[in-house]
Amino acid sequence: VPATSQVRRISNAEYDRIVRDLLGVTALHAYGDSAPSNLLATDQEGGLTDVGWAGYKTVAEAIAAQVMADPTLRASFISCDPAVGTCLHDTVVSFGRRAYRRPLSADDIAAFDSVIAKGSEITPTGAPLEIAEALLYLFLVSPSFIQKEELQDVADGAGHLQLSSYELAARLAFLLWGSLPDRTLEQSADDGKLATAEQILQQAARMLKDPRARDMVSAFHRSYMLMGTNTRWDNTNKDPSLFPAFTRELVGVMQQETELFFDNIVFAKNGSFEDLIQSPVAFVNSSTAPFYGLDPAKFSSTLTETTLGATRPGFLTRLGFLNAYSGYQGTSPILRGAFITKQVLGIAVGAPPPGAEQTPLPPASDQLDTNRKRFDAMTSGPQCAACHHTFINPPGFALEAFDTVGSSQTTERSTGTAIDTSADVLTSYYGPAVHVSGPAELMAAIAQSAGAKSKYVSEWIAYTTGRRGDPGDSCAVNGITAKMSTSGYTVQNLITDLTQTLSFRVRTAEQ
Amino acid sequence: MKNTGDIMNRNNNRPLARRLFLRGIGGLTLAAPFLTSLNEAKGQSATVPKRLVIFYTHNGCLTDRWFPKVENGPLAAADLTGTLAPLAQFAPKLLVPRGFRSMNAFGKGQSIDPHDQACGSKLTCAPLNDDQNRYPQAESLDHTIAKLINPNKSTPLVLSVGAASTKIKEVISFSAANTPFPANVNPRTVFNALMLGAGTSSNPSAPAPTMSPEVDYRLKRGQSVIDFVRGDLSRLQKLKMSSADHNRVQNWLDLLRDTEVGVGGMMGNTGSMQPSACTSDTAMKLGVTDASLTAASPTGKITPGVFDGGTASSEGDKNLATSFTAGGDMMMNLIALNMLCDANRVFVLMYPGYVVFNWDGINDTTDHHSISHRTGSIIVTGTCLANVLDHINRIDQWYAGKFAKLVGLLDSIQEGGGTLLDHSATMWLPELSDGAAHNLNNLPIVIAGSAGGYLKQGAAVNVEGSPIGPGNSDNSCQDGANKGDTGSTTGNVPINKLYVTLMNAVGCTDNGGKVSKFGVMDGMNATAGIANPGEVAALTSSV
Repeated sequence: VPATSQVRRISNAEYDRIVRDLLGVTALHAYGDSAPSNLLATDQEGGLTDVGWAGYKTVAEAIAAQVMADPTLRASFISCDPAVGTCLHDTVVSFGRRAYRRPLSADDIAAFDSVIAKGSEITPTGAPLEIAEALLYLFLVSPSFIQKEELQDVADGAGHLQLSSYELAARLAFLLWGSLPDRTLEQSADDGKLATAEQILQQAARMLKDPRARDMVSAFHRSYMLMGTNTRWDNTNKDPSLFPAFTRELVGVMQQETELFFDNIVFAKNGSFEDLIQSPVAFVNSSTAPFYGLDPAKFSSTLTETTLGATRPGFLTRLGFLNAYSGYQGTSPILRGAFITKQVLGIAVGAPPPGAEQTPLPPASDQLDTNRKRFDAMTSGPQCAACHHTFINPPGFALEAFDTVGSSQTTERSTGTAIDTSADVLTSYYGPAVHVSGPAELMAAIAQSAGAKSKYVSEWIAYTTGRRGDPGDSCAVNGITAKMSTSGYTVQNLITDLTQTLSFRVRTAEQ
Repeated sequence: MKNTGDIMNRNNNRPLARRLFLRGIGGLTLAAPFLTSLNEAKGQSATVPKRLVIFYTHNGCLTDRWFPKVENGPLAAADLTGTLAPLAQFAPKLLVPRGFRSMNAFGKGQSIDPHDQACGSKLTCAPLNDDQNRYPQAESLDHTIAKLINPNKSTPLVLSVGAASTKIKEVISFSAANTPFPANVNPRTVFNALMLGAGTSSNPSAPAPTMSPEVDYRLKRGQSVIDFVRGDLSRLQKLKMSSADHNRVQNWLDLLRDTEVGVGGMMGNTGSMQPSACTSDTAMKLGVTDASLTAASPTGKITPGVFDGGTASSEGDKNLATSFTAGGDMMMNLIALNMLCDANRVFVLMYPGYVVFNWDGINDTTDHHSISHRTGSIIVTGTCLANVLDHINRIDQWYAGKFAKLVGLLDSIQEGGGTLLDHSATMWLPELSDGAAHNLNNLPIVIAGSAGGYLKQGAAVNVEGSPIGPGNSDNSCQDGANKGDTGSTTGNVPINKLYVTLMNAVGCTDNGGKVSKFGVMDGMNATAGIANPGEVAALTSSV
């Protein structure tokens, strides 16, 4: 079980979702309706900085003022008349249970009570509503709110430390929603009903049906596909003289299609990993239809679910990936092949050797009359061939069935020569190579590859824990990977099984 | 900004009611203006701080158009005719060190992505971990210097336009080994940190609150917030936790103490007296107003999407353009303001490289990184884009203009017997030399300001000895040719020596004497350590 910090700060994305779920605040009116996290310092794991601390205080002040000024929002914080009786004290106890993801301790409550007692000194007029606003501000700047605290220090007898039911509930909520527990999960924690793996699984299955889990699954697949700001996806562009139908506006549409694909397979189809690799489902609109060889007149501007032929299996043959992993003017079997080799099959080929980048791509000639032959020649030097001819190029060559903008092609654009999409692909480091005739057989081979499944699981572990390649997680990766070969095992099963690993249920202390 | 000097003179006392920047009220409110009367009664510190500013850009440049005509010797405005032309008017205050190479040059040291290598080792001179994160095994120069010259040892102010993250291609600052220190990208956030908790009332052009009995509650509220958070943290202090976790708790407690010092002892963040130039008037003269902050800050989310990562969008494109133009300029203003408030003495301003330039008359359709490869994509070999050298040149010139803007701003603000620029070392440091070759030798570096007289001014200095030359960026892509080799081999003096020189220039000391070493290694062998210690005397005014 990998050692974990006991006081990690919530991420900025988590902050936004927490104040949304806790208080209904998604935009700060005082700052042009920008998302709260815009005003926070950039996420980092080191010590809190002055910019970071000031950011928390600024945002807390804006949120507290906004909540108290809006009766609807205010009800999510305070449900009694603050001028009457013990309302402020009661609010501390009930709101604190949610905000801190645990019941407040006697010390916590005493600290808030002393602030209430000083109310008239620390507010303009001492009005109960002003004191309530000050309390909300204090909640939002307190370490118990800002940090994911796992403080219970109880050994489990097997070399690990047990998590409290509150800590487990918070882990569940952060994993599946990137936010805090809902009332049902809070109740389970209060009742001690997160004690067994089965009870945790039951909650996870329930929580996976919530729209917040779909957001999380989408975000995971963006991470798996290496999408994001300033990535190849984001910066995709094509030479307009060669590909006039391509426009920059399509970049977002193509990315959205890939996101819809993953969402559809995981949720609507309740599909498996093999389905992600091989499903014919696509989402097409009138702008992208021509690239798929479809009639644009049959589509609107909305991306609509469509079934493509058997030559277009899975996310690796959708427009988004094929475009992002191509050049400006031509395809790149290297970019496509390296992504499949490293990110999908999990084969750790290293970086190119010194000087590799300066190797020129030989121009087309009578002998080198296809893109494939040119790239093959470019990487034929002994230093290059070991990785390129063995691992990287073959899957890229199979995807030469699709041109730079993702359209099907059978002949080379510039020479008219027939394109060879057959290849001997290594789906694991030690082989043996699988002979494929083109994309469909390539995807079939990937879908059956233990390495691809293991890589997919380890990406899930990395995404949900923040740990990448920790040896302590290898048991969890292997365990779930083994399950993936059982019939009917879905991606949803995989996700809920992330809560069934030992490292999810217990912790070990850092040195 | 040329005529603001008198107003910003540190000894020019401003009306009390206009002081907004007193740090130290931890609470919900504006700083209490009356406190500065005590500040003034105690007078100002006589020492003018020295500072370091690093202006960092990606993807190299056309080196042969960038370097001044003179390689070694006095530098005149007439020598700055290429990319650096916007800096010509500052020639007497420039130092162009020639012949440095940063650790490690790709292909000579570790064999990993050249951009990962350049970013990770740029300010650390340390090897990178051979895992997916590629983090370096040491802290970066800005943190080393901040610990030595920021009186409270507070962290440097690391800023960026566009988006920032802890990804190795977007981070050059590291607070410790394996610990990225990402930049902040929202000018409003940076401004608020200076205001500390000003929040909704952070409009610096609004009248400051008048002194009244009400002010008292603000102070008490500030103190009660500090007491409250400290109480919550002390609960953690008592627990058995890892040293990393204890440090996290202690860091937070230190921040509380610093702000409390502000309340009780009239001290600014750096522990020195709050400088009298640190006023809302100053902010306004610098163009830092509520309206300009709004105009310079992104709308919606900087990193789009409900979860991290997101779809390309027109709002994202607009935010990027705003951030690169108004946002970057505002960051410069905020750097000046931080200097005037002595809130920090070490600054990094980064311009990320994987963006499409589509502003200020540049209408690129492919991103800077792809253009720097000459091919219009991630692919590093093959056919050149049409007119690609013109595209690169436009971006190089745009960056030169931005650096000149920063230099001009700092030089327009009087301080002590000179300007902010004179008391600082303001360095344009590139990720790479040539963007297609990814080479790190013969780095195009220019430093403005002498850091209080320490650095040589109005000079180019060849630190290698033998002629270096301007590189070969123009060697390819003429007449639609394929991209050839655009790199060069000369100029290989380890950049550690420049960093040591800068450390001494801004007042770092090692056991009371000069600093002689920085970084883990200065050659291609990580275990060989620093083989060539010491600063470069030829870069100092003493030679």
